[in-house]
Amino acid sequence: MIELVDVVKKYRIGIHEVVALNGVSLSVRDGEFVVIMGPSGSGKSTLLHLIGCLDKPTSGKVIIDGLDTSKLSDRELTELRRDKIGFVFQQYYLIPTLTALENVELPMVFKGVPKEKRHSRAEELLELVGLKGKEDRKPKELSGGEQQRVAIARALANEPSILLCDEPTGNLDTKSGKVVMDIIKRLNVEEGVTVVLVTHDPSLSDYGDRVVRIRDGRIIHAD
Amino acid sequence: MLIELALRNLARTKVRSTLAIIGIVIGVMAISSIGIFGESLKAVILENFKDVANEVIITPNYIHGYTSIDARTVRKIETIPFAETVIPVKSESALVEYRGKKTYVTVYGIDVRKTKDLFELERGTYKGCLVGSKIADFFKLRVGSRITVAGKDFRVTGIIKEGARFDINPNYAVILPLRDFDRVFNDKEYSMVIVKVRSIDKIDAFKKAVDKIVNRKENKVSVFEMKMIIERIKNVFGKVTLFLMAIAGVSLLVAGISILNIMLMSTIERTKEIGLMRAIGAYRETILKLFLTEALILGLVGSAVGGALSFLGGYSIDILILKTAKYVFAPSSIVYVFLGIAFGILTALISAMYPAWKASKLEPIEALRYE
Repeated sequence: MIELVDVVKKYRIGIHEVVALNGVSLSVRDGEFVVIMGPSGSGKSTLLHLIGCLDKPTSGKVIIDGLDTSKLSDRELTELRRDKIGFVFQQYYLIPTLTALENVELPMVFKGVPKEKRHSRAEELLELVGLKGKEDRKPKELSGGEQQRVAIARALANEPSILLCDEPTGNLDTKSGKVVMDIIKRLNVEEGVTVVLVTHDPSLSDYGDRVVRIRDGRIIHAD
Repeated sequence: MLIELALRNLARTKVRSTLAIIGIVIGVMAISSIGIFGESLKAVILENFKDVANEVIITPNYIHGYTSIDARTVRKIETIPFAETVIPVKSESALVEYRGKKTYVTVYGIDVRKTKDLFELERGTYKGCLVGSKIADFFKLRVGSRITVAGKDFRVTGIIKEGARFDINPNYAVILPLRDFDRVFNDKEYSMVIVKVRSIDKIDAFKKAVDKIVNRKENKVSVFEMKMIIERIKNVFGKVTLFLMAIAGVSLLVAGISILNIMLMSTIERTKEIGLMRAIGAYRETILKLFLTEALILGLVGSAVGGALSFLGGYSIDILILKTAKYVFAPSSIVYVFLGIAFGILTALISAMYPAWKASKLEPIEALRYE
């Protein structure tokens, strides 16, 4: 369960103050697939980052599974991200020096999962995203779609209950984008993973159980 | 995995990493080579004094008005159990002449059976008049030459090998057997007593015994330990070595700055990666550890290579300046190699602290957004 209560996020850029989110309240049930749509600069990515505990709200509350994240230390937030949340970014953000398999292993390394166990789990996950046989490839030896699938496998490494996707198909062609979206949808349906997906691409709205529209830092429509 | 990751990060910028390692290699090599040289220099100098380390010199206590040591005092000293050999010495300054040339030298009277404990001979035998090598050179003396000492003639039986002592300078001395000395100078008392103590660690006990037995009523004699003089020499050379190493240390400082520089560059270049790792569950200290591990690897590799090469460096300097390499692998020299290695590793770690701290302080979202 994700709950946002009257969340405000302000940035200071030079002498200007920018209000990215202006009093957003939202709740996402366990197992739900929510698509947040809005034009660029609407504050949708900021919203996702706040849910993912990558950033802190200026005011308001972000509550993940009953935990008020504003009360957590940096260490506790790190553990929350590590254990409960999986991230999929538009730019994939794979570590270029590590192979596909090692990239998937990385969150488990941070958690202290023993080598054998993380190795076999990473292999399973790569199989799940259809990359069996490409475990030893470095990111640059993979296509964009394949890299994004590695990123999804990595996001799932520590069996998170929440998957946060920031324009996951933004850098992909239609075909690869569909493969990636089908995997995300399958995880939501079959594994019951809560998905919050941020996009400006209207064609992705069909994947969600619910679409939340955001503009100028405010939710303008939720159905 | 952290080590693996660190290794690959270093491999990513091979030229940069190699240059950083070379910096450490040069720094460690400079420090350790000079350390080895300093230690060898000290060893070469102390080698001359290795036979006298357990000796003490007993002199009259001039401050309290004593100018000589009487025979009774010598006998008392002989009763002290720690004394292995007691050599009473008489001395006078006298004119020595040979074939029209003349010079003033210090003439010593020493028991004929004991001179061998103090000097080695280059030629001849101990049984009569011995002359130092410089005196022999000056007069062009050989064994058998007849010299005049304070008006009396003596046949030179031996020429003393060149050497160094603190009490008697063997190179400029003329040594006469006690009986001959007494014939010339008629001195009743001794000017000093050289005592070889059983072992170095008994010197303190011996000194205490002298104070108890000889100086009980009055401070008749003073005791000088060779050990102390040798310690002073060691001390001075230790300081010289340290000073030279500090100069060499500047090169390590430069290497440290280069590591600081490349680590800062790499934190900037890898900002997004750091952000990603923080996002997927790396603690601040994991990032800190990653960067320190990278620096540690640079330090370890650089120091190991530098340490190994320092033997070559030390060997070259020793051969060049001291003309001997026998102290390069002495345990006391090897200490400096480990010291250099330790400094190399420490330099790498200290240099990486600021960049590593900076990387670990990055906020995940700002790091991910970094362009």
